[in-house]
Amino acid sequence: MGPLLYNGVISFETSLWLAFPIGLMFGFVLEKAGFGDSRNLTNIFYFRDMRVLRVMFSALVTAMIGLIVLSYAGLFDYNVLVEESLMKSYFWPQLVGGIIFGLGFVIGGYCPGTAIVGVASGKIDSIVFLIGMVFGIWVFAFGWPVWGWFYKSSDLGRLTLWQFFGTSRDLMALIILIMALAAFALAWLGEKWAPYDK
Amino acid sequence: MNNMDYTKGYWNPYVAGIALGLVLTFTFYVMGTGLGASGAVARTAAVVAHTVSPQAIENQAYFKEFYREGASHPLFDWTVIEVIGVFVGGLISVILSRRFSVGIGRGPTAGVGLRLFMAFFGGVIAGVGTRFAMGCTSGQALSGGATMVVGSWVFMMAVFATAFGAAYFVRKEWS
Repeated sequence: MGPLLYNGVISFETSLWLAFPIGLMFGFVLEKAGFGDSRNLTNIFYFRDMRVLRVMFSALVTAMIGLIVLSYAGLFDYNVLVEESLMKSYFWPQLVGGIIFGLGFVIGGYCPGTAIVGVASGKIDSIVFLIGMVFGIWVFAFGWPVWGWFYKSSDLGRLTLWQFFGTSRDLMALIILIMALAAFALAWLGEKWAPYDK
Repeated sequence: MNNMDYTKGYWNPYVAGIALGLVLTFTFYVMGTGLGASGAVARTAAVVAHTVSPQAIENQAYFKEFYREGASHPLFDWTVIEVIGVFVGGLISVILSRRFSVGIGRGPTAGVGLRLFMAFFGGVIAGVGTRFAMGCTSGQALSGGATMVVGSWVFMMAVFATAFGAAYFVRKEWS
């Protein structure tokens, strides 16, 4: 039963062998989605082509439902995920980090994973973006005296949306599914609107 | 009107999204955690700085977490190996689709100098952002989003709200 690593079905060493093929599939799909080109990634912000929203939300919803289906099929222990391997939430750092990252995304034209695919596609701007990112991480590291106290502050622990809103996992997933479908409809309307291309 | 030919030839975005979602499901099934990317860049930044001054980096307030006693080399890491896979997977797709071409993605009226400066500047900002958020679009928005993590949804909403708002000010770069 999954998660295989946490349930001791596979060792940490074996999981390292799986990192490469998993990354291979990830990179392949990102490229097929068009994410090796910064124009395809930033078009969403100009309502020209909302493919980033479509890919991202359909991927998110697929995995969200996929894990729930696997847990009902007895193949995946969702409790292990929630109690042991779920990422921890840090409210303020993640809000501020999201604002900073959003700026970097639209200005730089990539996010880290897609920039790697950009390099594979021969895009010079993606290499420059990644070099910039290395500098940015140095800025963060050496600015520690200024903001080190803020890093990992407002620790909420492993907290899911359904716990936060006091509802059930499956109802929360249904709400997110409906939100995603609404977002797909809005994306279509956004492309009709295309405010920057009039 | 822009020439949008570069948007053609890819998978239907819903098909690509479902395929990506299945890869992510498999990753959680195996690992209990999702996909990542920015962690590999952070480790690379540490290793590059380490070549200049090993002592300073091993004791540096942030980078020391990659150089714990008895830990393996910072680049011997699940996410780093996965990201090498991302590069090779992207390369396979680009070659099979006959899409490899050296170039710079930019708006039709944006200059090369402007675009490359912005790519660097945006990279610096994004790099800082990933460290505060402890992840990026892959690790937080996508993987944390799919597992309904509160902080990941906060991150995702902040990313998109900011990017839609800021897009107006950099429209010359992309138009």
